[in-house]
Amino acid sequence: MTPTKILSCIALAAGLLSATILSAQAEDHTVTVWAGGTDESSHYRVDAIKLAAGFLERQAKLRGEDLHITVQGKTWSTWDDFKQAVTLAAESHTAPNIIVSGHEDIGPWSQAGILRPIEDYVDFDAWPLDQIYKNLVKVASFDGQIWGIPQDAEARVFFFSKPHLKAIGYSDDQIAALPERVRKGDYTLYDMLHDVKKMQDEGVVEKGKGFAPRVSNGPDYWQFYQSFGGEMVDRKTGKLVFDRKALTGMYQFFADAVKMGVVPATYLGTEWDTWHRGVAADKFGAWDGGTWHYAQWTKQFGMKDFFGKVQFSLIPAGNKNGRANSITHPLVYLLSTTGSDEDAALSAELITIASDPRINALHAISSGHLAIGSDEAKLPFYANDRWTSETTKQLLPYTNAIPNDARFGVYWSAMYKGLEAAWTGSSSVEDAVKAAETEVKSALGDHIIIR
Amino acid sequence: MAETTAALRALRPDTASRPAGGTRALEEPEATPRRRTSRLGLLMLAPTLLLLGVFFLVPAVLTGIFAFTTMSSATGISGGAYVFTANRLDALAGSGVPPETITELRTERAVVDAAGLAAAAKAGVDERFLADIKATLLGQSFAGPRDFKRALQALPNHPRRIFELKQAMEPFSHAILNTRFATRDQAAAAIRSVAPDIEPAVLDRLLSASYTGWVWTSENFVRLLTQPQTLRLCLNTVFYVAVTLGFSVAISLFLALATFYLPRRTATAFSALWLLPKITPVVLYAILWKWFTWEGGFLPILAGHLGLPAFNYMKGSVPTAWTIVIMVNGFVGASIGMILLTSALRAIPVQQLWASEVDGASRWQQVRRIILPQLKWPILFFTIYQAMSLMSSYEQIWLTTDGGPGNTTDVWALEAFRVALFDYTGNLRYGLGAAMALILVAVGLIVSLLLLRLFNFSDLVEQPRIET
Repeated sequence: MTPTKILSCIALAAGLLSATILSAQAEDHTVTVWAGGTDESSHYRVDAIKLAAGFLERQAKLRGEDLHITVQGKTWSTWDDFKQAVTLAAESHTAPNIIVSGHEDIGPWSQAGILRPIEDYVDFDAWPLDQIYKNLVKVASFDGQIWGIPQDAEARVFFFSKPHLKAIGYSDDQIAALPERVRKGDYTLYDMLHDVKKMQDEGVVEKGKGFAPRVSNGPDYWQFYQSFGGEMVDRKTGKLVFDRKALTGMYQFFADAVKMGVVPATYLGTEWDTWHRGVAADKFGAWDGGTWHYAQWTKQFGMKDFFGKVQFSLIPAGNKNGRANSITHPLVYLLSTTGSDEDAALSAELITIASDPRINALHAISSGHLAIGSDEAKLPFYANDRWTSETTKQLLPYTNAIPNDARFGVYWSAMYKGLEAAWTGSSSVEDAVKAAETEVKSALGDHIIIR
Repeated sequence: MAETTAALRALRPDTASRPAGGTRALEEPEATPRRRTSRLGLLMLAPTLLLLGVFFLVPAVLTGIFAFTTMSSATGISGGAYVFTANRLDALAGSGVPPETITELRTERAVVDAAGLAAAAKAGVDERFLADIKATLLGQSFAGPRDFKRALQALPNHPRRIFELKQAMEPFSHAILNTRFATRDQAAAAIRSVAPDIEPAVLDRLLSASYTGWVWTSENFVRLLTQPQTLRLCLNTVFYVAVTLGFSVAISLFLALATFYLPRRTATAFSALWLLPKITPVVLYAILWKWFTWEGGFLPILAGHLGLPAFNYMKGSVPTAWTIVIMVNGFVGASIGMILLTSALRAIPVQQLWASEVDGASRWQQVRRIILPQLKWPILFFTIYQAMSLMSSYEQIWLTTDGGPGNTTDVWALEAFRVALFDYTGNLRYGLGAAMALILVAVGLIVSLLLLRLFNFSDLVEQPRIET
């Protein structure tokens, strides 16, 4: 072998060795993110994690490390199939690293061992997590531990059609004063029924389209329970509460609405798109929804001049026992038990970066959700948005959340079944309440207080 | 038993019907090759048996097991762990567990002592950080992990990653609260470490209360028997199965007869058209029905032009929703029935029909006197098959009305699916859903036996007397 050949061999070997060393230094990670209830406008639930991954890679590069993070996102527009997917994937140990779900899933999923308490991986005393609203952190906690980081916040809203209110004699001042009347309890759900009935009688809206509540099961219906004085949790004992009187008031309200002809007996199960199109075309007298619907109506369904057409308020009280209210249903970033502790630590780091006010504000403005922290609310980008700033001010202070109790799902299902029965007239209000009571009693025993 | 023997004879004429005579004797030397064939047959059947076991027997057995458990999304399927949480311990107040034991188990104390430092060093905690802890915090006790964490974060060499900091905290912890123990023994040992004098009965109670997994129960069946919703579901299911079955049988019989009397080419085209409900993928089939019946769909637009009520027929009223559910499922059944009955019709000797025509029989008389009596067995088979299919079917209802409006078109199978696997709140109750499925299987068997009895099955499978 000639010296040149020897030198060539040495150079090749050195090259191969250095390539091997370099490739050994490179760190490749794949992080999976699954998000439920996510439509086109909420893509930042996953994209925020992708942005965070890019940020972390840049930081690593400056430290001289070669870090590659692949974020594999998957979204579901509905909840039933998403929760089924997560639960069954967890059973087969293939759950995603990061789950974006409603906070109420923390109860059952933490019991089942699907989740890691996120406070073991992140520092809530350090920025940006220390500026997240404390009530939202509380919502993401269960049984003495913090399990998730709030991904967004929201309020549920009662809407009135301004043109239709004017058509039945409301002045601009009266319309402007409506939210305050609702808040004080001067304007109740039954006042609303009479107004929308008047709209129908005067031909302002079509029959059966006076009142258009949520078309399917959702936390919204607990608001009507609260409107009639219901409490979901006993403050002293922390146990779930089944309030017969409040549930009767709520079921009766919807049965009365059907009887008055302002909402059809067959309304539940209407397609969401039909409802959205109805709102965008100003076909309803009053309806209830969420802050995020604003983004859908104005961006997807072509609604123009929202503020000129729509007045919004808290959900009105039903009677003197109840109160005007709104439920916030924050989604939370959760860490699954899938993968190693290191995987979880990396995922937690990504979630922390994604909770940066500037990144989270992208989601809030894009999807019509509310800020999760004080710093985010101060950002001009967020504060200059009329919808988010007005709803943050008018509604957010009066919101409460549904409980994280692992048994709440049973109660919720029973409540909605009873509502369906009373609404469609397949049983009387009294029987529907009794059936719901029987079901929760037999399923939950002493874990629920029947009042 | 006689019936079974008759059926066996019909199926194995070589072993029973043929006389044992010279032919059999001549075949004796071939006994060995026959065994080989039998083994080969078994080998060829093996994949089927395997698939049958994996996809039918195992799920059926598991359903039977699940039905007697409290399995849910909260308990998990594969088993639980033992964990003491604040809520679980609070729930034990007044249950016979001494309050001081509960208080002891709730304590989240962290103590910086020599043993903790040694354990931390063994666990690989950074030496400089350990030196900081020893110098600053030795001998101190902290009421909870959050206080301890903040104290550690004040030290100069503390790990910047919280996960590493938490790992460093573990050796100093004297708490079992929120710790997940994989086995009962581990949990018992942990309890004894904080409450050494605990009584066995109290220990048992604590362990039972801390278990997160499922337990055996018959409560699912009690609930199904006592809840008012069961009656409505049963009535809906009976109505759905009976009417859809009648619709399917009537339509398939009509189609089979119509195509029988049509010219062959026209009949083939007609049959192919009626196969569409069966061969179209179920999701596409449901979407087609939606386009057909929803607001803005073909039927409401047509009705609007004719001055009839135009609305979403699929979900807008209970009678139209039921009509659509019955038609959507009925046409699928009619497709299968048409094939079955058409082939049975073609097997009828055409000479019988010619002879009847010579005798001056009308079409109706041919159908009544010649065709229907000979179609009794295929109609029985189709009726039983279709009844079973309808009882357990839910996918078309799920994809069209989704049990609505409200819950008016909800049936047993759909509810079982929802309870076990598809719930908005994420509250999947596998045990209760399995109990519903088990009841469905039991009812299916009973209905099958009743139908066999109703149609006099033994007479139908009896060997023709002319051959005995």
